[in-house]
Amino acid sequence: MPHIVLSHITKQFPGVKALDDVSMSIEQGEIHALCGENGAGKSTLMNILSGNLQPDNGGIFLDGTNLRFSNPQQAFAHNIAIVYQHLSLVDSLSVAENIFANQQPVNKWGIIQFDALNHQTSLLLKQLNIEEISPRTLVAELSPAQRQMVEIAKALSKQPSILILDEPTASFTDKETRTLFDILKTLKKGGASIIYISHRLEEIFVLADRISILKDGKHQGTFNASELKKDELITKMVGRELKALRAGSTRTTETLLVVKNISGSRFSNVSFSLHQGEIVGLAGLIGAGRSEIARAIFGIDKIRSGEILFHDKPFHADHPAAAIRERMAYVTEDRKNQGLFQEMTIEENIVAASLPFVMKSGFYDRSKARQISADSKNRFRMAASDLQQRVINLSGGNQQKVMLAKWLLTQPDVLIIDEPTHGIDIGAKYEIYEILKTLAAEGKAILMISSELPELLGLCDRIIVVKKGTVVGEVVPPDMTEEKVIRLAT
Amino acid sequence: MINKILQDRVYSLGLVLVTTALITSLVFPSTFPTFENFSQILLNLSIDTIVAVGMMLLLISGAFDLSVGSIVAFTGCFTAYLMHFFNIPVPLALAAGMLSALCIGLTNGYLIAYQNINPMIQTLAMMGIIRGCALLVSGAGIQNLPYWFNAIGQSKLLGIQMPIWYMLATVGIFTFLFNKTIFFRRYYYIGGNEKAADLSGIHVRKMKMFAFMISALLAGFAGILLSSRLGAALPTMGRGLELRVITAVILGGATLTGGYGKIPGALLGALFMGLIANIMVISRISGYWQEIILGLILIATLWLDKYLQRKYSAIS
Amino acid sequence: MKLKLPHLKVYSVFSLFGALFLLSVSCELPPRNQSAAVAARASNPEPVSIDNEEYVMVTTAVTMPMYVNHDQAAFRRWGKKMNVKVSILGPAEWDVPAQINTIEEVIGTRPTGLLINGTDPAIAQVINKAVAAGIPTVVYDSDIPGSNRHAFLGTDWYEIGRMQGEEMVKLTGGKGKIAYMGILGLTNMDQGFQGLLDVLKKYPDIEVIGKYDDKANVEEAAKITSDVLAAHPDIAGFCGFDSNSGPGIALAVREAGKAGKIKITTVDWEPEHLQLVKDGVIQMLAGQKRELFTWYGAQFLYDMVHHTNPLAQNDARAGITSVPYIINTGLLKITAENVDEFINR
Repeated sequence: MPHIVLSHITKQFPGVKALDDVSMSIEQGEIHALCGENGAGKSTLMNILSGNLQPDNGGIFLDGTNLRFSNPQQAFAHNIAIVYQHLSLVDSLSVAENIFANQQPVNKWGIIQFDALNHQTSLLLKQLNIEEISPRTLVAELSPAQRQMVEIAKALSKQPSILILDEPTASFTDKETRTLFDILKTLKKGGASIIYISHRLEEIFVLADRISILKDGKHQGTFNASELKKDELITKMVGRELKALRAGSTRTTETLLVVKNISGSRFSNVSFSLHQGEIVGLAGLIGAGRSEIARAIFGIDKIRSGEILFHDKPFHADHPAAAIRERMAYVTEDRKNQGLFQEMTIEENIVAASLPFVMKSGFYDRSKARQISADSKNRFRMAASDLQQRVINLSGGNQQKVMLAKWLLTQPDVLIIDEPTHGIDIGAKYEIYEILKTLAAEGKAILMISSELPELLGLCDRIIVVKKGTVVGEVVPPDMTEEKVIRLAT
Repeated sequence: MINKILQDRVYSLGLVLVTTALITSLVFPSTFPTFENFSQILLNLSIDTIVAVGMMLLLISGAFDLSVGSIVAFTGCFTAYLMHFFNIPVPLALAAGMLSALCIGLTNGYLIAYQNINPMIQTLAMMGIIRGCALLVSGAGIQNLPYWFNAIGQSKLLGIQMPIWYMLATVGIFTFLFNKTIFFRRYYYIGGNEKAADLSGIHVRKMKMFAFMISALLAGFAGILLSSRLGAALPTMGRGLELRVITAVILGGATLTGGYGKIPGALLGALFMGLIANIMVISRISGYWQEIILGLILIATLWLDKYLQRKYSAIS
Repeated sequence: MKLKLPHLKVYSVFSLFGALFLLSVSCELPPRNQSAAVAARASNPEPVSIDNEEYVMVTTAVTMPMYVNHDQAAFRRWGKKMNVKVSILGPAEWDVPAQINTIEEVIGTRPTGLLINGTDPAIAQVINKAVAAGIPTVVYDSDIPGSNRHAFLGTDWYEIGRMQGEEMVKLTGGKGKIAYMGILGLTNMDQGFQGLLDVLKKYPDIEVIGKYDDKANVEEAAKITSDVLAAHPDIAGFCGFDSNSGPGIALAVREAGKAGKIKITTVDWEPEHLQLVKDGVIQMLAGQKRELFTWYGAQFLYDMVHHTNPLAQNDARAGITSVPYIINTGLLKITAENVDEFINR
C-alpha cells in the first residue's frame, strides 16, 4: 500500500485554478521528485500536504486513513515536515534554538536546558556533515547555504516519516548538494518518504526514484526516473522543444570596461576587461566573491585599491547613482530584498532608476512613465494584466523581466547581471537568454554571474572563474567545458 | 469602479466624511451645518494638518517623528522669546524660529540616516529634549506678543481665518510636489524598498535626512502659526500632537512600513478626526469618551481596510 | 483652436498678480487692541432665551481625578438641584489649545452659560469671543487677565505658596534645606512658587536647594525625591504643588524610612492625601474649595440669565453685571488635628 495518497485534489485561487483534480501516490522509502514550471502548482500541492492550505476538493490518505489538516501543527503531528523555499529562520537566535524552535528540551520546571539543547544540535549537525557550524552561532552570521542546511536540520529534528523539500539546493554548491543527497539516501533507507522539488533537472535524475510532473495545475503523469529522458521531461513540463542557447558571437575588439587590480571586502587583486558586444561569465562557488566584485564596481561597496577604466576614462563610483550616470547597470540576485519595490506597480518599478527620463519641463510626467513602461512590457512580453499591477503578484520570471526593463531604461553600456535565472521557470529562462543575446548584439557588454554552469557555457563568450576572492583563471573556447570551470573553481 | 474607490483611501475616507457630515446635519440642523461651524472645524485642525503633511512625507519614506509636538512648542516659544525679551523684529524672529526647527530636523535626520540610530528612539529622545528647551525659554508661557506677529494667525481672508489658507496651501503645494517632482517621488521608492532604492541610484541617506528636515520645518511653521493664533506661546503646546497626527495620517492611508500614502490623505485624516471631535462637542459627549471613540474608530477603519483589501484584491 | 503658449504665459502672470492684489485688499487684519474693542460691545449679555437652558463647562484634562471628584461633581449636583441641563467638555489631556478649540466650537452652539476653567492666560481671546457673542461667561480656578469674563471664582495661588512656606517654617523651626516641586511652565503654579519663596527668603537659615518638575506624575515625584534624599541626606522638608507631588514625595520619604522626620507640605486633599496626613507622613495640606468654584460659578451664570438681583432697570443696557466680579473662596488647612473631619466626609 502507498504511504501517502493524494486523491483528486482541486484548489481554486482567485482567478486561477492552482490544482485541477491531481491524484498521485508516494511509496514508503522512495524519493519522489515533483517537476513543473513555476506556477504549475507544486508549492500549492505541498502546502496542502503540510497543512498550510486546505483543498477545495479531494483528500489526503496517510497509510489508508483519510486526513484533513487545518493547520501545519496537525500535519507535524503526523510526522510530516517541510523545508521551505523561503527561509523560516530567526536571525537573532542561535542555530540550536532555531532548529528546536518551540520544542527545546526543558526540565520539570519548564526551564530550557541549554546544554542538552546544544548537545542535541551538535549531534544533528554532525549527522548532516556540517560540523563547522556551532550550535551557539547566531543564524545572522551564517552564509545563505549554511542557513539552508540549518533549515534542513530543523525539519530533520522532528524525525519525520515524510519530508518535503522545496528547492533545497538553490543556494548550494556541489559539496553541500552531495552532503544533502547522502542524507536523503540514508533517510530513504530508514523508510522515510521524501518529496523533492527542484528546478535543477540534473539533480532529479541523480536522486529520484520516480518523477511526477505538473503543468498548469494538472498532473501530467508519474514516471520511473530510469525510464525518462531529460528532453522528454522538459517537453512534458513546458510542452515544447528547447533550442540551443546561442549561435555565433557578437564580440568586438572595442574595450568598454577595464578593471585593474581592485581589492575590497572579501575580494582582492581582481583584474579583467569587457568588450562591446560580448557576454562574459563570472563563475565560482557560492561565497567566492562574485557578487562582491560586482557590487564594488557598481559603487555599492567600497573599493580599497586598484583602478577601473570605463570608456577609457578613470571611473570610481561612490554610490550607485554615479555608476548609473556613467551608464552602468547592475541587476541584483536578490530580487525580493534588493531588486524590486514589491508593493509598487510594474510602472513604478520600471521607471525607478531613470526618474529623470520621465520628466517633462522639470516635472514628473505620469503619461510618459505609462508610455515608457508599456513599451517595456511589450518588448519583454511580460505576462501581466496591466501596468498598475503590483509586482509582488507577478511570477518570478516576470519579476526578473521587470528588473531587466528597469535597468535597460537607464541605457547602460555595461550590464552586470547577477543570477538572472535564479528561481524562475524554464520558459522564462529562455526568454531572459534571448534578451541578453539581443543586448549583446546591440553592442552592450554583459557581465553575467551565475551558479548554473550550463547557462554560462551556453551563453558566454568566455568565463572568468573566481575562487576565494581572486581571479583564478579564464576559460575560453574551444575548451570551455564544465569540467574545466569546476576544476578551477574548487 | 467601486472596487477602485474602496481601495484608494483618499476616496473611501472622503465618502465616509461626506456621509458622516450629512447624517450629522440631519441630526443637528441648527448647529452643525453652518458656515461658522465648518470654518471653526477647519481652523481647529489647521495646525494638525500642517504637521500631518510632514508626517505623511516621513511615513511614505518608512520613518516617523515623535518629536513634532515638541518642535511645535519649541519653535513657538523660541520665536516669542526672541520677540518678547530681545525685541527682535517679527520677520527676523520668524526666520530664527524656522531655522531652529530646521536644525532640530537636521539633527534627527543626520543621526537617523547617517548614524543608523533607530528613528523611534532618536525622536523620542528629541521629544523630551526639545520640550525641556521650550520650558527653559518660555517658563510659564509668553503673553503679549507683537501685533504683527499675532496678525499672521488671526487675520482673515475672504471671511476665512488665515491658518485655514496656510493649511490648504501646504496641502496643495505638497500634493503637487509629490505628484510632479522626482525629488518627492523618490520617497515612495525609499519606503517601498530602501535597499532597492539605493541600488536604483537614489541617495537614500541624504533623502531621509531631508525628510526629517522638511517635516521639522512644517512643524516649526505650525508652531509659529499656533502661537500667533493664540497670541501667546505656551510650553505645553502640541502635547500629544505626534500621536494624534500619526493617527490622522494612518487614517489617511499611510502605513508604518512605508511606501503608501497620498498628501491629501493627511488632510482627510485630520478632517475626519476634527469632524468627530466637533460632533462630540455639539452632541455634548463628554471628554472621557473622546479618546475611546477615536481609538475605536481607528481600529474599525484599519480593520475595514484590511477586509476590503482582502475582498477586492481577490476579485481583481 | 489652440492658444499660443507665450500668450498663455502673459495671461497667467497677469491673472496671478490680479489675484494677489485682490487677496491683499480683502485681507482683514485683527483689531489692534482686542480687549478694548470687545469691551465696548458687551459687558453684560442681553437676556438669553431661557427655554432649553443649558450650562456648559469647558476644562482641559477632563479626566483628572481631582477635577472629576470636585469641580465636575459639584457642577453636576448643581444641575440636578436646579433641574437644568449641564454638560462637561474638553480634551482628556492637559492641552490648552484643544480647550480653546472646544470653547470656539461650543460658542457656535449658543449655550445658556459658559463655565471655563482658567487654565492659561492664552484663553483670554476666546473668552472675549464668547462674551462678545453674548454668552454669560464665568472663569474659575485661575483668573485670566485681559479677559472680559463676567465673574471669577478661585483661589489665590500665591497664598497657597505662602501658606506652605509659613507652615514649613513652623515645622522646621526656621532652618534647614527645603526642596519644592510641581509642574513647570504653568502660570498659577509659578505664582505658588513665588509665594513660597517670598516667605522662605525671610529666614536666612533656610536653604532652598531646588525647584523640580515632577510632570504631574507620582513616579517622577518619587524619583526626584529619592535623588534629592541621596544628594542631601540632611534635607528638612519638601513642598509639593500639584496633585501628584504629595503622594510621590511621601512614597520616597517612607521608603527611605524617614516618615515624620522629613516634613512634607503639599496641595490638594484627595483620599490618598488625607490618608498620608493621617499616617503622619504629610504634615499639612493646603486645600482648595473647588466645589465652591463650580457650584457658585454656575449659580452666577443662572442669576445673570434669570436677573435674580437686578441692579438697574436693565442691567445689560446699563452696561453692568449683577453678580460678584471676583470671589476668593479661601483655602483649607488640613493637618493631623482636623484630618478626620475630611476623611469621614
